[in-house]
Amino acid sequence: MMRGLLLKTWYEVWLMTLLFGCALLGVNALLTYVIPQIQGGLIEVIERLPFVRPMLTAMLGTELGDKITPQTMQAFLWVHPTVLALLWGHTIIFCTRLPAGEIDRGTIDVLLGLPVSRRAVFFGEVVAWLVAGLVVLLMGYLGHCLTSPAIPDQLRPKSSRALVVLTNLYCVYLAVGGITLLISSLSDRRGRAMAIAFAIVLASFLLNFLSQFWEPAEQLAFLGVMQYYRPAQILQSGNFPAADIAILLSVGAGALLLGSEIVARRSICTV
Amino acid sequence: MSIICTENLSRHYGRRVGVDAINLDVGAGEIFGFLGPNGAGKTTTIRLLLGFLQPNCGRASLFGLDCWRQSALAKRDVGYLPGDLRLYPWLTASKALHIFGEIRGVDLRERGYELAERFRLEMDVRVQKMSRGMRQKLGIILALAHKPKVLILDEPTSGLDPLMQEELTCAIRELAAEGHTVFFSSHTLSEVESLCDRVAIVREGQIVADERLETLRSRALRAVELVYSDEDTAERVELPSYLRLVIRYGSRCHCELDGPTPPLVQWAAGQPLADITVGAPDLGSLFHKYYQSPGDLP
Repeated sequence: MMRGLLLKTWYEVWLMTLLFGCALLGVNALLTYVIPQIQGGLIEVIERLPFVRPMLTAMLGTELGDKITPQTMQAFLWVHPTVLALLWGHTIIFCTRLPAGEIDRGTIDVLLGLPVSRRAVFFGEVVAWLVAGLVVLLMGYLGHCLTSPAIPDQLRPKSSRALVVLTNLYCVYLAVGGITLLISSLSDRRGRAMAIAFAIVLASFLLNFLSQFWEPAEQLAFLGVMQYYRPAQILQSGNFPAADIAILLSVGAGALLLGSEIVARRSICTV
Repeated sequence: MSIICTENLSRHYGRRVGVDAINLDVGAGEIFGFLGPNGAGKTTTIRLLLGFLQPNCGRASLFGLDCWRQSALAKRDVGYLPGDLRLYPWLTASKALHIFGEIRGVDLRERGYELAERFRLEMDVRVQKMSRGMRQKLGIILALAHKPKVLILDEPTSGLDPLMQEELTCAIRELAAEGHTVFFSSHTLSEVESLCDRVAIVREGQIVADERLETLRSRALRAVELVYSDEDTAERVELPSYLRLVIRYGSRCHCELDGPTPPLVQWAAGQPLADITVGAPDLGSLFHKYYQSPGDLP
């Protein structure tokens, strides 16, 4: 049964996943090569325009310190808006497919007319999404690996630390996807579910950013998922962010369990 | 043994009534017609049977299994064709048989290919390139391919040409002959009349009639035309109580027969008639009454 559900999902998402993966591969390859070259220019910009520093701090999730280290520069790769936009785009598109997308396009009647439990349908989708997210991220990492030999040794981050950043980023992906699936499970319209998920991600990003300048936002910063993603710290210290990862996984898993319960208990049909 | 059973099944959409206290009992091998105008509650009943919707009160069961709580198990031997069929645009008939077969845990390809040949459907055309009729054929094939013990069809002939409608009728009869149950929802009287053993009529969410078709036929009025030798005789004639005059013009009297034909034949034998025509039971007018006027049910 699960094989059939996965097969159906595979036919629907392979092209989208491949496109997102290729885009991330290209962007990461380009950024890995370009970022070390702009280090000097960036220092000059920060000295001339002081307000840029808190913005960069907000993006990286850590203080820049007196000087920008090669590790800090490499961390920009993993927080670059293009990279994050591609990842959030993939997870939001994927996670609004069921049930909101199926209800919206009217195919839910055919799907639920089959002898499958709603939980099986939901978790089939979750398995496919987890694999697809991993593929997209690994393609991004491949892009980074492709061009990193072209940069000087002292500017190149250690692979082990880059993999820890990747793990942390995957957990953010899971948390965002889990929340999106929860929104989708409550909705009959895919567009509406996508808009709400996008607004939440954007709010989380803004909260993280504002908390650098504004005290009330700082007190609420723990509510945003970006608070638990600090690639610059990981690249500098090499520490595994166990607490951040645990929080992100808890949020993701909690949202998924709640979403599956809602899907199993609510009335669902084409509207 | 009842295969499809509902007890006081009700579902409301806010203040609007979807269905209200529906009681049905459909046995094995029956072709059960579920007839009603648009918005009467036919699709809601089907969605409750398939466990898409949770009833507000009452219960529905398939093979004795609760349609809401044991939905997946209950649907194992069910084939379903939605009224407003929408399929995945990338799907082809062969992919669909493969995927649906994997989900059902049976190989549907052999029977699916037979049905595709019977309904003249190409196997490798994508749904996005199919006409409405072709999509409907694919839906029918997917509903029939695993030889379900219960086949639930929601207005299945829409989009089909007359030949394919006939083919579907044959396929349904074959299935019923093997002891399988068919739940046939429609708002078209003629297709229910030609196919079903029993009919339930639903109006405004309630069952207003649930009878064998023969019983309904015996209760339906028949059109009778009496032709007298001349106009004067036609004007003077006294009709029996079971014959109601609709219109008279010249020597012809158009009447409605409310009751069996033998007393009419007996009465007509003593009349100076030049000709008499008795029509088939007019189920249409009977259903029309059921559909329209709650206070004036026959």
